[in-house]
Amino acid sequence: MSESNFKRLNERVSAAKRDVEARGETFYPGASRIHLAAFPPKERWDDWIELDSRSWPERSERRYMLVPTTCFNCESACGLLAYVDRDTMGVRKFEGNPEHPGSRGRNCAKGPATINQVTDPDRILSPLKRAGARGEGKWTATTWDEALDDIAARIRRAIVEERENEIMYHVGRPGEDGFTERVLAAWGVDGHNSHTNICSSGGRFGYAAWMGYDRPSPDHANSRVMLLVSSHLEAGHYFNPHAQRVIEAKNNGSKLIVIDVRLSNTATHADYWLPPIPGSEAAMLLAIAQHIISTARYDREFVRRWWNWEEYLSEEHPDEQPAFETFERILSRMYARYTFEVAERESGIPAATLRAVAEVVASAGTRLATHTWRSAAAGNLGGWQVSRCLFLLNALLGAVATEGGVYPNAWNKFVPRPIHEPPHPKHWNDLTWPQEYPLALNEMSFLLPHLIDDGQRRLELYFSRVYNPVWTNPNGFAWIDMLTDETKIGLHVALTPTWSETAFFADYVLPMGHASERHDLHSYETHDAQWIGFRQPVLRAAREQLGETIRDTREVNPGEVWEENEFWIELSWRVDPDGALGIRKYFESKKLPGTKLGADEYYAYIFEHSVPGLPERAVAEGLTPLEYMRRYGAFEIERKIGALHEEPLSKEELAGSDVDALQRVYTDAPAPRGPNVVPQPSPRDPEGRRSIGVVVDGTALRGFPTPSRKLEFYSSTLARWGWREYALPAYIESHVHPSRLGEDRMVLISTFRLPTQIHTRSANAKWLDEIAHTNPLWIHPDDAARLGNVATGDLLRVATESGYFVLRAWVTEGIRPGCVACSHHMGRWRLGDMGQRQFSAVVRLDRRGDLWNIERTAGVTPFESTDPDTKRIWWTDVGVHQNLTFPVHPDPISGMHCWHQAVTVTRAHEGDAYGDISVHAEKARAVYRQWRELTRSAREHSPDGTRRPYWMLRPLKPLPAVFQLPDPTAHG
Amino acid sequence: MDEQVHPTWAKVVDQSRCIGCHACTTACKSENLVPLSVTRTYVKSVEVGAFPQARRNFQVTRCNQCSDAPCTTACPTSAMYRRPDGIVDFDKSICIGCKACIAACPYDAIFINPEDHSAEKCNFCAHRLDVGLEPACVVVCPVEALIVGDLNDPSSRVAQIVNREAVQVRRPEKQTRPKLFYKGAHEATLDPLAARRPPGGLYASSTQPAGHAEIGSGHPGRATSSAAALLSYDVSHQAPWGWPVTLYTTTKSIAAGAYLVVLLLCVAGALDWTSPLVQWAAPILALAFLGVTGALLTFDLEHPERFYLILTRPQMRSWLARGAFIITAYALALLLQLGAAAADAIAIVRAVAFPGAVLAVVTSVYTAFLFAQAKGRDFWQSPLLGPHLLVQALIAGAASLLPLAVWLAPSSVAWLSWLLAAATALHLLFAAAERTIEHSTAHARLALHAMYSGALGCYAWTGIALSCVTIAAPWIGLWAVLPALGALVAYDHAYVQAGQSVPLA
Repeated sequence: MSESNFKRLNERVSAAKRDVEARGETFYPGASRIHLAAFPPKERWDDWIELDSRSWPERSERRYMLVPTTCFNCESACGLLAYVDRDTMGVRKFEGNPEHPGSRGRNCAKGPATINQVTDPDRILSPLKRAGARGEGKWTATTWDEALDDIAARIRRAIVEERENEIMYHVGRPGEDGFTERVLAAWGVDGHNSHTNICSSGGRFGYAAWMGYDRPSPDHANSRVMLLVSSHLEAGHYFNPHAQRVIEAKNNGSKLIVIDVRLSNTATHADYWLPPIPGSEAAMLLAIAQHIISTARYDREFVRRWWNWEEYLSEEHPDEQPAFETFERILSRMYARYTFEVAERESGIPAATLRAVAEVVASAGTRLATHTWRSAAAGNLGGWQVSRCLFLLNALLGAVATEGGVYPNAWNKFVPRPIHEPPHPKHWNDLTWPQEYPLALNEMSFLLPHLIDDGQRRLELYFSRVYNPVWTNPNGFAWIDMLTDETKIGLHVALTPTWSETAFFADYVLPMGHASERHDLHSYETHDAQWIGFRQPVLRAAREQLGETIRDTREVNPGEVWEENEFWIELSWRVDPDGALGIRKYFESKKLPGTKLGADEYYAYIFEHSVPGLPERAVAEGLTPLEYMRRYGAFEIERKIGALHEEPLSKEELAGSDVDALQRVYTDAPAPRGPNVVPQPSPRDPEGRRSIGVVVDGTALRGFPTPSRKLEFYSSTLARWGWREYALPAYIESHVHPSRLGEDRMVLISTFRLPTQIHTRSANAKWLDEIAHTNPLWIHPDDAARLGNVATGDLLRVATESGYFVLRAWVTEGIRPGCVACSHHMGRWRLGDMGQRQFSAVVRLDRRGDLWNIERTAGVTPFESTDPDTKRIWWTDVGVHQNLTFPVHPDPISGMHCWHQAVTVTRAHEGDAYGDISVHAEKARAVYRQWRELTRSAREHSPDGTRRPYWMLRPLKPLPAVFQLPDPTAHG
Repeated sequence: MDEQVHPTWAKVVDQSRCIGCHACTTACKSENLVPLSVTRTYVKSVEVGAFPQARRNFQVTRCNQCSDAPCTTACPTSAMYRRPDGIVDFDKSICIGCKACIAACPYDAIFINPEDHSAEKCNFCAHRLDVGLEPACVVVCPVEALIVGDLNDPSSRVAQIVNREAVQVRRPEKQTRPKLFYKGAHEATLDPLAARRPPGGLYASSTQPAGHAEIGSGHPGRATSSAAALLSYDVSHQAPWGWPVTLYTTTKSIAAGAYLVVLLLCVAGALDWTSPLVQWAAPILALAFLGVTGALLTFDLEHPERFYLILTRPQMRSWLARGAFIITAYALALLLQLGAAAADAIAIVRAVAFPGAVLAVVTSVYTAFLFAQAKGRDFWQSPLLGPHLLVQALIAGAASLLPLAVWLAPSSVAWLSWLLAAATALHLLFAAAERTIEHSTAHARLALHAMYSGALGCYAWTGIALSCVTIAAPWIGLWAVLPALGALVAYDHAYVQAGQSVPLA
């Protein structure tokens, strides 16, 4: 192209500041803060011309339509912009979406790699039905119609025959807020099962105990000190959005303290890296709290106003003067035992270091941003006390809902009220909510095979979605055992875009879309704001923009790939074709009653009715709210939410309300119908009246949705449900505490994530696989020497309570001596040709009685496919699957699977080969029974004859009456 | 940019912000459709320290956009070129795939794209800059660790950081004047030999690429940093030049030496100008091996069909281009000599001899300049290399002439044998000097170590042993021919590969 033509092109499409502003368009400044833009002006997203990078330096023009969607790799749900080639109408690449308030146009490695998942040659493109025995690996093509009819008939039969509890939907990453829960509610089944108890419920429980809400929303960007117990610069909740803000704060002078057994990328950036003996985290945090208390640096006014100290005194010290000073005296006395020396003994971190860190924390004032997710809270028996003790620091400093402090997540989240709201289910599924775990924050999902065995139970229908329990859950062999047994699982439907170890054991494998091929709506607490993000099938949006009418996402998706929204609507219609079951009405159009609800109407309704400010903003751009969201993909409803607990109750709310002895305000009035239906804890008084606030210093304020309506330093719930000893933030010795570990045992940290992979969902991204594809065992040089001069690459055998696996050593200074660590994500396997060839080893699965074995028969090899890159695959290793060898460790309170393993590490035995896995099923069951012994069942400990405290959050919360424990004499 | 002449684009990589997430890597792959097995940019990682005082250090590793870019100097066709705004860009349509740019780059930032077989690297996303967009890596970076800007614009963040903060560049001693500045980078990542290479073919969460042309990253022995530094992630780097280049040095030595040796013998009076060895055999031999040399060079090109571009659009600072012209001139001289011989014009034969000899010498020696243009490969930048190649040409010439002399000029056989023995002795002296005199950089020392140990060691020592046999040429006569030539092939292979065996990134 000549210089003058080039100039003309520039004038036409330049994103440079001067040209953009001359055209009256939007200039998106980038990190460089110069005239170069980070993104094309949004006014040109419908027809943007770029120069082709491959034919460079020849300036060949490519025309694109830029369509936003949302990344579906980790839970951060960052914005993406799909570049839809206007000539081929295919997606050329994904960039960030500058209109997204959480990710602000930026992404991690997984964002751009979304294109790999779309073009993955091994993806499943049409519905498949099992041909041979379950798990045999034989499949035939089927149609959506056949699959839908079969599944719908079984659901209908189960509902009609009142076998509602035989329908279960088991989800990993939902990627949406409530759609599928409402489908289950419409069917009237308590069939929701999540992955949360193998993920975050340990962390959540500690937060829920304090404030009712089970997640924190730290305002890192405005902090003075950040204290992280997990690795937010590389892992989810909320990796990229939080990493941006953590580094921003660090550059503004905020201090970063990281507690992590291993050297994470986050620990790398820490001003203070504290690598403790695993399980001692709460002891360290309590020592910091003790320092703040004993030096009287806590925010006295905040503690006086917002801690439930009155309740604590009245319950536990009824004879003492009910004055704040009394409480301070007791507080100081009680926590005096958590000295730095005690913390040093428990954690191995020098007292002097802890003291220095405590000083830094104390200096934060109300600008202390803390966060823990998984990590210690997910690793240890009693790990939920880690998040509780962490939040104690915020509660002491008054750094709660302050700028630079920590917000309850629900205040920074917006779930718009949907078009239909089916009622709460009338059933209680004790396969997911067993009586032994009345306080479990989420479904006891990972116990399912054991619970089915214990109760001789059966599921008619088991949906797995974005979830791979065979691979991800502890004791995966028990899952294979359950899934292959047709007397236990009537029909297993895997809703998945790609093969997984769990999908191998399905009856139907139904292909669902990737990030750019489906509708979802969600909102996450990435910072102090409320926003919604829209995931959409980008080719549908692009073709509609060009004037086509698309009624079904399958029209634009590759092959016969569908999306869940439309699938659930269609399935529900087939379950209740005439509406007689009362299900169909929740899936009908409002505009044309009696016709099927479409994705367009579903979202148009939400955007028009339930998102404050969106209709006005859309009108200003000459768009409908749906068009606005299809064009921009995200909308920020409000910024700087502030301290909602300090908000006074309105006169209307107070009308007819009562205040009890503990100053709590209750009302009979129904809850107001606001647009935001984010799940809220629901404390009530014994008469069943709603708790709406608390009187503080004479003013009725909103407070927190806890039974006391305050921050619960003292948990009356724990005290009343049989755990009085843990009613206060305290230190629970872990199951891997040195005193329980035994001489030759080490602690295995098995859950750490890499920034480039996400659970078992990213095996289909070649760029990510190329960067990270194996998981050697991190071991300290001292330990390596002790095991006989083990060098990096040497084979080791790691023996757990129920089996062992064989892998290579990575000798590193980045881990505490006495501990070993093995990354999550790796060790994917397949039994034959089916599967993700670029990232899974072919294995032989062998079962002899109780003994299960896996042997690797082939690693990854290059192969011919539609993508020439698969011939260039150069790695052969994919790591080793460790979770199979972990028996279940359910925390008796939070229900969390406590991931840390006490293991014996030795050099590989004679005959051991890389990738060998061996598990003894009976040993695994014995460990389950051992941990079940720790529980305090609702049958014996429920204070009010219910299965679970009604006030606590619970997905798909049933009607209050259903909470009543069944009459034991009537129990079959 | 009308009002100002040109910007000078530069980038700052702020390692104090970098979280090692590899987003830049995949964003670049996506923007530039870079295949698996190669990369324009990646995030190297080195663990430094001892528990618990340890840290993982990252380095976003890529083309440095050198102000004095060795790749553009080495490129024979200007396929690698420097734009007026300082960006070192490339034009794949005129790349012949000679890999001289790869050999020249001190940072190992260039690779051959396996899809189109042309050289490529980071070009600051020039196609984006030209329409007013930031490069893809800058846009994607979650923590704004990458920024681009104009060094001439004092208000740009890049200029402010470069001018006001402690920044570093990689390998400044190479005098390439990089325009990729690092802030907060650790010495253990900047120096390719500072960190230990992990054993067992592993990195922390990936494997070390294997393959015969693979250059292992990190120091395989005692690393140069006294900080405990362990390489925990790196990518594949391939040695650009393999067997064809080794063989080319030998065949070229024969081509240069065959003619040069007969001329020397004529001058010394050991041969008569009318001898068929002088008039026919030597020039034909030289021409034939020039042909083989040319064939090998063409064979080694990724785009052999474009070989003519060296002559039609030469970039004359490139020793590859200069070499092509030298070889061509030498071939013309040989043809002229043969023509004169055919016409029985002895005067012309004699007249051509002097320029012919000069061209033969230059033909043998220019490779030293070609190798020296590989700025990052210290081992090749030896002042001994030129004379050493000349000696090798004499060995190759004498050895290859010997059988012909037995047939055509028996009286010269003794001379040739003694010349072969003497030149070989000199070769061993050069080799001994190379091996025993302390090299000035860690890189060169490591290359030398690689040459005489491991897989290459067997070639080097075979070469030395065969040379020792060759010294007996005056006594063993024709039996010395194959050892002499074999010695050169083996020694040159070890030398050429050793020079490329040291990691640069």
